[in-house]
Amino acid sequence: MTKAKRAKNQRSQKGQMRVIEAVMASLIVVSALAFLYVFAATPSSQPQETSELEKIGHNVLHDMDEQRLLTRFVYNSEWANLTAGLFVSLPTNVYFNLSICDVNGNPISHPLILYGNEQIFDSSKAVASVTYIVPGYLASYSPRVLVLKLVRG
Amino acid sequence: MRMARNRKGQFIIIAALMISIMIVSISTVIYGTVTYYRQERWEEYVTIVDSIKTGSYGLLQVGLANYGQTLNSTVLRDYFNQWMRDVRKAYPGFGVDLSYALASGIRSAYGVSLNYSLGLARTWNQPVSFSASNATVSLDLASVGLTGYNFSSHVFLKMNIREAKWYYKESQRYVLIYVSVEKEGPEPVVNLQKSNFAEVRLSGVPQTFSVKRYYSSTYSCFIYEIRINSISALPSSVEVTLSDTRGIKTVSYTTSIQQTS
Repeated sequence: MTKAKRAKNQRSQKGQMRVIEAVMASLIVVSALAFLYVFAATPSSQPQETSELEKIGHNVLHDMDEQRLLTRFVYNSEWANLTAGLFVSLPTNVYFNLSICDVNGNPISHPLILYGNEQIFDSSKAVASVTYIVPGYLASYSPRVLVLKLVRG
Repeated sequence: MRMARNRKGQFIIIAALMISIMIVSISTVIYGTVTYYRQERWEEYVTIVDSIKTGSYGLLQVGLANYGQTLNSTVLRDYFNQWMRDVRKAYPGFGVDLSYALASGIRSAYGVSLNYSLGLARTWNQPVSFSASNATVSLDLASVGLTGYNFSSHVFLKMNIREAKWYYKESQRYVLIYVSVEKEGPEPVVNLQKSNFAEVRLSGVPQTFSVKRYYSSTYSCFIYEIRINSISALPSSVEVTLSDTRGIKTVSYTTSIQQTS
């Protein structure tokens, strides 16, 4: 073997070794990232979904209260208007069930204020619940607690 | 030569291992930091605080409306005492604790001087009349470690008799009263109906009247024009009683009536 051929062979071996080193280093880094990906406990989307629905529900009740519609509907027993108000304010794919009680938790008699099937609220894993308190209407103090349950259909 | 190359190769692998360890460590720390508070029910806490805040504002309206009807000067204090207990019951398990301070003494707002007592103030039977309530509420939410969240709420209603005119023409004689109404903000109240003007008196006698609303360029505001027909003589006084959509009452009174032919 000539001297020049030997030198060329050595350079070639050196180059191959570098490639192998680079591949091994890359494998190690990729393994580390894969390890992170597998063991990272990504938060479930359910709590986020519930949180989002709670925000929507609260905003709807708050807006109706700001417009003085909520207290009018609740204290004047305008249940159909209350149901319609919630229906038009909430997204169409969100089902709701509103119950009204006094501060001691005793339910106030009212027809079902519901959109969607009642069973959805039992079967769904992501049911959002918003509690909203109103102090009274016009000149009379008579607090009512509104519990709005929401489920995405 | 071979030894040197071998050592270099080991170094790169060791460096890659160390980089991997660093990536894993830093990612773990960042992940822990980012997700530390994620499991808390922040949205629920925010909605509770917001609901109590809006409710307290509503309570000021209810208290002021009741005060206008009964003139019971302790009504707001009584309502707030009940409200503190009721809010705690409405949100069990959250450690809600509410305290309040009712406004007291002279304060200036919306161009009038308000003399508060137990959170309530009124000046009636003047050309510019008003009713007001004001309180500062402090909220603690023990379950989330929130303490001393303070907010002030106030409710205000002002009615101003801009002008009262008695028109005497040959065919008809009538009185026109121009009033403007404002609430907190100050914000013009433009949604009043005839039924909100509970009573209009001329020379102390209740009258039948009609109301129309329009924007007046003369006064640069929305005006309620109250018309009373068949008034044969110049009245000595005009009194307008208003109860707005919130049930808050105020009474304006003036003896300044212009004659216009």
